Amino acid sequence: MPQRSGSNLHSRNLEVQSAKPRNTTLQALTSAALVLPGLLITPGHAAGTDRVNFQYSRYQEGERNLYGAPNSLKPISADVLHGSGIFSLTDRTKFSFSYTQDTWSGATQITTSPLVANGNRLYYENTSSGVTVAGASPIINNRILLDRNLNPLRQDPEGGQSLSQDSRSVLVMSYASPETRNQANFGLSREWNEAAFNVGGGFSRERDYKSSYGSLGGRLDFNQKLTTVKLGAGYTDSAVGAILDHDASPYITKNAFSEQIVKRGGSEVLLGDRQDWVANMGLTQVLTKNALVDANIGYTHSNGYLENPYKVMSVIFVDPAALNNNQTTPVIGDMRALLEQRPNIRNQVAINTKYIQYIGAFDAALHLGYRLSVDDWGVNTHTFDASWVQPIASGWTLTPRIRYYSQDAASFYKPYLISQQTYRKIEVDSSGRVIWIDPSNPNEQYFRDSDFNLIDQNGNPVNEDLVNVQPKTSLFDSGKLPDNFSSDYRLAGFGALSGGATLNKMIMKGVALEAGFEYYTHASSMQLGGSGGNSFADFGYYVANAALKLDMEQVNFARPNISNSHQHEDSTKQHHHKIPPAGIMFGHMLDKPGDLMVGYRFMHNWTNGHMMHGGHKVSDQTIVQQGCSDTTPCRFTPDYMNMSMHMLDIMYAPAKWLNVMLMPTFMTMDMNLRELAGRPAPVPGVHEHQGIAGHETGAVGDTYISSLVKLINIPGHRVHMNLGLSAPTGKVDIELRRMAQIDGGLIHFGMQLGSGTWDFTPSLTYAGEKNRWSWGTQLSGVKRMEDKNKSGYRLGDVFQATTWGGYDLTQWLTASVRGAYTLQGAIQRDFDRFNAHIGPMDFPANYGGQFWDIGLGLNARIPGGRFAGNRFGFEWLEPVRSDFNGFQLDRKGALSATWSYLF
Amino acid sequence: MRKSLYAKTKLVLVMCIGLSGCVHVAPWERGNLAKSQMDLDPHPLQSERQSHNYSSREAAPSDKSSSGGGGCGCY
Repeated sequence: MPQRSGSNLHSRNLEVQSAKPRNTTLQALTSAALVLPGLLITPGHAAGTDRVNFQYSRYQEGERNLYGAPNSLKPISADVLHGSGIFSLTDRTKFSFSYTQDTWSGATQITTSPLVANGNRLYYENTSSGVTVAGASPIINNRILLDRNLNPLRQDPEGGQSLSQDSRSVLVMSYASPETRNQANFGLSREWNEAAFNVGGGFSRERDYKSSYGSLGGRLDFNQKLTTVKLGAGYTDSAVGAILDHDASPYITKNAFSEQIVKRGGSEVLLGDRQDWVANMGLTQVLTKNALVDANIGYTHSNGYLENPYKVMSVIFVDPAALNNNQTTPVIGDMRALLEQRPNIRNQVAINTKYIQYIGAFDAALHLGYRLSVDDWGVNTHTFDASWVQPIASGWTLTPRIRYYSQDAASFYKPYLISQQTYRKIEVDSSGRVIWIDPSNPNEQYFRDSDFNLIDQNGNPVNEDLVNVQPKTSLFDSGKLPDNFSSDYRLAGFGALSGGATLNKMIMKGVALEAGFEYYTHASSMQLGGSGGNSFADFGYYVANAALKLDMEQVNFARPNISNSHQHEDSTKQHHHKIPPAGIMFGHMLDKPGDLMVGYRFMHNWTNGHMMHGGHKVSDQTIVQQGCSDTTPCRFTPDYMNMSMHMLDIMYAPAKWLNVMLMPTFMTMDMNLRELAGRPAPVPGVHEHQGIAGHETGAVGDTYISSLVKLINIPGHRVHMNLGLSAPTGKVDIELRRMAQIDGGLIHFGMQLGSGTWDFTPSLTYAGEKNRWSWGTQLSGVKRMEDKNKSGYRLGDVFQATTWGGYDLTQWLTASVRGAYTLQGAIQRDFDRFNAHIGPMDFPANYGGQFWDIGLGLNARIPGGRFAGNRFGFEWLEPVRSDFNGFQLDRKGALSATWSYLF
Repeated sequence: MRKSLYAKTKLVLVMCIGLSGCVHVAPWERGNLAKSQMDLDPHPLQSERQSHNYSSREAAPSDKSSSGGGGCGCY
């Protein structure tokens, strides 16, 4: 192949030369410039320029058809935060990274069952207007009536005895409390004139699923970059450790996986491993000066535990003796739930094709795609998609898009199974006698003689007072079930139609905003050539997202001398006031009107270890007696609690004396509880914390809007004031799932994601500097401006005083020391809806206090070179003294990290 | 049967190479191809999200499977 491409290149060069005399001088010069190494781009593969992206996305599913049962469980929603970047390490080497965090919760399918099995059973509550339906809870074991052809029968509520066939199925819905996944990817790529090579890797972590992966890829350009060949390969290793639902587990038959289930701290954990190998090959070909085509073929091989550990199959066991008794009356079906069983191997092949046509009349591009995939599970899919990328005047681009997808069902997919055997059968010996055993000594077998007297294997009478016998039973014969079965609706046959649009706006050089929306509808009737028989699983979802995209290369081009000239130092010197330590917010201002600074701030706060009261450690017994209320003793206490905040800092200077700031935040919380020693015994009907799993919450937090006003600016001394607001965009009504037929209620105050109230956030900052030294002090506060939030409470007000000193270790690196005092009030009022009140964290008085901390920090400003203009800051805040209100978990410190870039 | 498959494969290969050999788009004629709307993936942030959502709701192999990784999507 290289030889051929070489000869192509040679002939092209000849053509270029021979064409020269016919072209204008300008064209000749242009072409000569364009064929210089590295300047001719590979069509379709625009080299990623140095950039940073932030994106927030929300996935919201619609309700399922439960045939009259209330959708009391909120449908699934997911909040996704994504940050990614590409940085050039050298002219030809780039480093890329991305981080994605998603938190999801909501109603999820546990199984499918005949509608008559009452899988979503109503539960009721007493209200002032009488007994009303409060919701539906999943039932996965039940008895149903079947006719002699094994069709489910519905008992007519009017006639009582009259029965009618009802073949409808329904999804049985369970509820998942919030759960967070973190994914990080890294990549390194190297470009040559007509080739590229990349290596990547990453990992994804969630409570029940951990995976790591690596990949290699490359690209070769031929024919003066009109033809590109791509190759890639990857490997993923995943480990499942699924904590089985404490409520559902007793009703699930798990014997097929008994060797993979371990007990940990009162929870059953299903363990599994899987490996995925992928390989793909692709070709991009320019067809004309206005069109190109791209084709790829990919192969995926997966093996190991490929099941979803939370999905069960409803199997209806019918006693063959009852079925074959030559009568016509209905038979009873014994519906049980078996963990789903998928094949341990899967091979998939996918072919992707894409055609892109430039439409000159509109300066737009039409993208048409088709994808075919086949696999050895029988899931064959077709995907068609079309989008129209339309640039509009003044930096806007609008891209409408439509997609159609159809898949065939997996060969082992069934809504439910019927098996002609009993779930549990009584064991008999070779002569047909029922075997009796004492469970405490199951190896000893007993029988009964004709007078029903108990005898042993040798026929000797046994004194029944000395043994505790019961008939020996055994579970069904799994050989009579299919090898593999799943009722996961995602393996059924269906079609899906989705449509949406992406809107892009370049707001200034190098800074663009992007918003996307898509609505998706899944319908069994839309399957190509399908019968539409699974319409019970039809649903829809929408996704909305917003992104900020920063292109550093464009900005660097706009400032031509940024990398190595002292001119740059002069022109931007005024921006280089020393920046306060990373833990300080609203600590500095932009000086030049029109300046825009974009930054990212991460804070992580740890609490764990001992429980504290005031400034002292406290015993479990004291917490039980005093930590909650006089009427309710404490039963649990926090074991650890971690809080992370991701914040986007957008700062703009409309005037020399005024800066405005917008700071959206994204919060994640993660905590676990432990049982207190000496706690009162559980009471039926009262919420208990079950199992080893902790709780996680995460989504958008409160949004800060600020204006900074410069008061004094003389050489070496600056004072500015911040008048800000915090908007209650974070949720304060997150609930725990219903367990053991008891509502979980609102999750603890500290796990809610915002304050829920509009807050006033003023601050006053003084900063000074001389030579290598810098110093400053700040007073700040948070004043809640409403009496209560929508869950009935309000957080305490906050006052903080802090002062710091810094010293420039080098021209670009500053070390800092800081002292901080914080006074925070307790929570006012209480939840106005049900909260389980199981420990100190559920009582408003156990929040706030007085805290003293010492901070150690480093600030770096990259002065020149490739990364010029980037600023980084880190600070560790070490607790020195605490005086807690009430009973609280000890503080272990906080980390702040910041990055910012001036545009 | 085997022979005809071989012949077909050969035909397709020859056509592909022939096709690429026939294409002549001079460097100065590539202005439109270089526009961002002509990128194979003009909105990578969007396609990444879409791909994750589709793969958590559909049984086809993920579009992005070439890069591997990506957790469960067990919801």
